[in-house]
Amino acid sequence: MGDDIFDEECDYLFKAVVIGDSGVGKSNLISRFTKDEFRIDSKPTIGVEFGYKNIKVRDKLIKAQIWDTAGQERAITSSYYRGALGAMLVYDITRLSTFVNIKKWLHELREFGNEDMVIILVANKSDLSHSREVEKEEGKVFAEKEGLCFMETSALQNLNVEEAFLQMITIIHDIISQKSLEDKMNGPKLNLTNGKEIHIADEVTATKQVNCCSR
Amino acid sequence: MIGCGGLWSVLMKRSGTRELNDFYPIRPECQADVPTTRFKPRYGKTLSERRWQASFDEEGRLDIAKVLRRIQRGGVHPSIKGVVMEFLLGCYDPNSTFDERNELKQRRRGQYDMWKAECQKIAPVLGSGKFVTTPLLNEDGQPTDPSLVTVTNPDKKVAQWLQLLHQIGLDVVRTDRSLVFYEDEGNQAKLWDVLSIYAWLDNDIGYVQGMNDICSPLVILIENEADCYWCFDRAMRRMRENFRCTASSMGVQSQLGTLSQIIKTVDPKLHHHLEDLDGGEYLFAFRMLMVLFRREFSFADTLYLWELMWGMEYNPNIFTRYEDPERAKTKGVTPAANDKVLKQYGKFERKYLKAGHTEENSALAVFLVASVLETKNKRILTEAKGVDDVVKILGDITSSLDAKKACDEALKLQKRYLLKTTKKA
Repeated sequence: MGDDIFDEECDYLFKAVVIGDSGVGKSNLISRFTKDEFRIDSKPTIGVEFGYKNIKVRDKLIKAQIWDTAGQERAITSSYYRGALGAMLVYDITRLSTFVNIKKWLHELREFGNEDMVIILVANKSDLSHSREVEKEEGKVFAEKEGLCFMETSALQNLNVEEAFLQMITIIHDIISQKSLEDKMNGPKLNLTNGKEIHIADEVTATKQVNCCSR
Repeated sequence: MIGCGGLWSVLMKRSGTRELNDFYPIRPECQADVPTTRFKPRYGKTLSERRWQASFDEEGRLDIAKVLRRIQRGGVHPSIKGVVMEFLLGCYDPNSTFDERNELKQRRRGQYDMWKAECQKIAPVLGSGKFVTTPLLNEDGQPTDPSLVTVTNPDKKVAQWLQLLHQIGLDVVRTDRSLVFYEDEGNQAKLWDVLSIYAWLDNDIGYVQGMNDICSPLVILIENEADCYWCFDRAMRRMRENFRCTASSMGVQSQLGTLSQIIKTVDPKLHHHLEDLDGGEYLFAFRMLMVLFRREFSFADTLYLWELMWGMEYNPNIFTRYEDPERAKTKGVTPAANDKVLKQYGKFERKYLKAGHTEENSALAVFLVASVLETKNKRILTEAKGVDDVVKILGDITSSLDAKKACDEALKLQKRYLLKTTKKA
């Protein structure tokens, strides 16, 4: 990453959060996506850390701002979820307990997050299939039931990481475009310029069914 | 270890990074990934082992003023970092004798053994040289593996504690793993034991991520596990409020509030800019305060920074305050005017004393973050368009920040802040 984040004019700034139990690989998923890096000596995340990447979706340049956080159950800082348009919910396929806890995380997300937040369930560490405790099918079924997107990834082997983030960001983009189209027809324009957080204030129910990608 | 001054001075001059690597060896495959160390022991500035030994009188009373002067100038030589740290954190009274300290140490070791036995009764893995990374209780609060947990239907306190143990384990395996020291499972288990026993005794805090980063250096520096525990306990006395979690906030947010107050006072323009970026809560400084800059510095530089900070924050009443809080209260505030007494305080603490502040003071760490923000003031004002940019700009300090300079800047900022706030009052 150069200093280009300061220069390039982006069409959109999307904020997304990554959550899940301790040690499921949240930080490495983010660093794989934003810097193509994987650290074997990665440390527990403290507080809030950030990753960002500029990507092109359709014909728009999007700055994805990814918020990383500590996995241990902690007090919710409302600022963590504030303005987040997407959430990546991560578990580790080699530890059943991290999958069981997904329910808790989802609950928290639905309580504190925006109701139109795009949520993708990510089953990480697919490279460790010899010690697998959660079958792919289980993740898929759960995601379908909850209306989430689903993907198995390996941050270590760089499998599906980019795809998972891109899917989330593309859906956010489509919702936003549709939303701003509606707004154009109905009056006041949303301010979607660089440097501003975008809040989807109203329901985007029309697009909600369309965006469910676990079909 | 080092007997004569001549040899010492040669060693001091020749040493530096190479010698530090002998003290805290880094795994070869991680060399490229760790920040470079800037700290070098300096002859005439760094507190040497010889000078340390010479600062005790015959019975063992320590001339703390003399020692503090050195520490605040050039840190502590790696060969004595552990013992010096114990004094700086208030484990011992500098005015006590060798015999008194020895007696206290033995008593504390006995106490630690008792606590450890208490914990072992519930979770026998503790103290075995091994540790756990998978949950010990299932969703219904029952033990997942009867060989690991001896009780059925644990009560609330026991259950709460058992639920923390795998979390501690997950963090232990990810703590300072670039250091050769933690390749040894026994050393990892030592860190796990200390954190687990602390969690057992401090129910309010238990274990919160980040405590591993504070504890790890002490585990490396202090060989005896019980002594290490007590030193960690004293370190936590300073920092535990940061780790307090309630339903709606983290304790460290109170320090973030102070930080915001300081910046607002000394640099309102920067404060408003940060507020505009939605960074008014100063969350980007969360980690620096929680783990005292461990992620911004190399291992050796963190130790250097901590020595400087704890030296500057030193208060001669600290031992009594921890050991006998009631007596510390009745003892009251030391009459400050006495120059000899003042020298027993660190520079930072002394300024508060002179300004007449007697209540709980803000930590030096907060001023340190503020001074770092100040040095990046221009870039933040012109380049930062979001909190993530602020983090990126601050991230650059990793390779460039000098612990000593940073502390000196923090002291200047404290002076400015005290001047402005006392004027107002």
